[in-house]
Amino acid sequence: MSAFQWRLTGRCYKLGHDVPHQGGVIPGWVIAGRYLEPKDVIPHLFEETDPGFHERCRPGDIIVAGRNFGMGPKMNGYVAMNALGFGLVCESMPFLAYRAAVGCGLRVMTDCVNATDICETGDALEVDFRDGWFVNHTRGIRREYPPVPDGLLELIELGGNTGWLKQWRTSQQRTTAAHPDPEA
Amino acid sequence: MTAVEKTLAAKSGRAGVEPGEVVHPDPDFIMVHDGVVMGAKRELDALGIDRLAAPEKVVMVTDHDVIYGSARAAERGAFNRQAARQWGVRQFFDVGRGGHGHIFPMETGMLLPGMFYFDNDRHATNAGAIGAFGFRMGAEISRVLATGTNWVMVPKTVRLTIRGRLATGVHARDVGFRIATLVANGALDADLDYRVLEYAGDLDQFDLAARAALCSSPTEMRAYGVFVPPSAAVLAHAREKAQRPFTPVFADAHAHYEADLALDVSALEPQVALPGGVQHAVDVTEAAGTRIDHVFLGSCGSGMYADLETAARYLAGRRIAPHVRMFVAPGSEESTKRMAREGLLQTFIEAGAVMLPAGCGPCNDAVIGPVHSGEVSISTAANNNYGRFGAKDAQLYLGSPATVAASAIAGCIADPRACTPLQREARSGGS
Repeated sequence: MSAFQWRLTGRCYKLGHDVPHQGGVIPGWVIAGRYLEPKDVIPHLFEETDPGFHERCRPGDIIVAGRNFGMGPKMNGYVAMNALGFGLVCESMPFLAYRAAVGCGLRVMTDCVNATDICETGDALEVDFRDGWFVNHTRGIRREYPPVPDGLLELIELGGNTGWLKQWRTSQQRTTAAHPDPEA
Repeated sequence: MTAVEKTLAAKSGRAGVEPGEVVHPDPDFIMVHDGVVMGAKRELDALGIDRLAAPEKVVMVTDHDVIYGSARAAERGAFNRQAARQWGVRQFFDVGRGGHGHIFPMETGMLLPGMFYFDNDRHATNAGAIGAFGFRMGAEISRVLATGTNWVMVPKTVRLTIRGRLATGVHARDVGFRIATLVANGALDADLDYRVLEYAGDLDQFDLAARAALCSSPTEMRAYGVFVPPSAAVLAHAREKAQRPFTPVFADAHAHYEADLALDVSALEPQVALPGGVQHAVDVTEAAGTRIDHVFLGSCGSGMYADLETAARYLAGRRIAPHVRMFVAPGSEESTKRMAREGLLQTFIEAGAVMLPAGCGPCNDAVIGPVHSGEVSISTAANNNYGRFGAKDAQLYLGSPATVAASAIAGCIADPRACTPLQREARSGGS
């Protein structure tokens, strides 16, 4: 668990306001087809707005989005972002989109007021999602933002819902082995 | 604390909670509907999780695709029955056994004031009608099934005080359409995304069905919960039906609200939501005369017995227009039986309407009673987003049960105030 990287150093990829999940983040057919494996979703991340994005990005890159990012409760785009090793910083996000991102294990900070005013695509960023700070090294700007809530740290460290459930299942098996059911 | 804060604190074993905190409430029950059992079961099976944390708390309902319009639906039904057996779920309200999962638990005393439950479906907000909370988990219902709970971030609360009484022919659904429209255009200055909308003010005029209607449109505006503080009449109903003891929850007098809004409904006219969303409401007179092909009465927002009664008052002794097809889905099997006992069934059938089994009707993905390209529909569905009833270029309007019934008779969108019931005067206000 200690190996989990809460601090990312990477390039900024800036988006505007009101970018929807469907179309803005990932094509509608990927969502409708319920593609959720990284290999299936990565090639299509930002495909409709920025073809070839997945070939130019690098692990540690940080998506900085404006207000109302990612409208919709679906996970496909966040699966891709997480598999690519990204973090997400946005000015605001509908809650179900936030929940979907967290459920994929994505490092995400929301309610980062005016974050898109202090960076441009390509800037060198350093963001700590657990401690809640954002540094733009290119422009010499630092901001404090609301960090990932304590209650969600473990979920993200374990890779989201599926990873959390796997860990929970393993811990249950250990408990059962240590304290076998006397009536079994 | 607000109502949701008090409820989440009580269910999380905490003295108090604040918006933004992450808690893991212990639910009174866990609801999962027929459309998502397969996904949850397969996910848990793949993880080697074959036992549920609390099978006695799990309520499975078959309401989304009740009569299997496809081989795939029949396969899903068979899968769900096997899942219930393997999981040991006894509270399985399968085909013909319960009805709409967001309606019948309030009628039968399963869902009671002060309760909290997890649901896969976002229309669990209906629980607010009886003074309870149901929180949508989506696909994460699997974690709730496996472990008994899941993380919940305490939502902020917006209070809306209702002033005045509804005029004759005006219904709580009209209030909901108006609220959605005022929120969308900024006249009611609040963001409902992941908020609880807590009503206050002149609420005694609203019976349980009307309270369910009040929960509907705010949900479409992304409210995560709606709360109508239970009236003496609602508490009396709950006490009469209660399957277990319950403690109602009310907001503290000095609770903090993110926004405090007010709406005078005394001059409100019947509303029609124009195609594209509940937030496109206009006075019925602006849409009157639009020719319709398709009518649906039912859904979580308008599926209680009082809603059926309201529509039946207009239909009694009349026939729907020859070019109109009308579908009626009661909210519960009990309502269907009561309709038979009290003559409503005959009223609807003689008027030319088609009865559907209790459940969601066309409002779930148009699995039954869909519309064709270019057709026009008016209904009491949860929403009228494009494609809700199938064809994406169909024109879907929404109205109250009274407006929908009056329109079915006229063959075009019609003002219910101009359609006098033949047998006795229409009830005003709440139902």
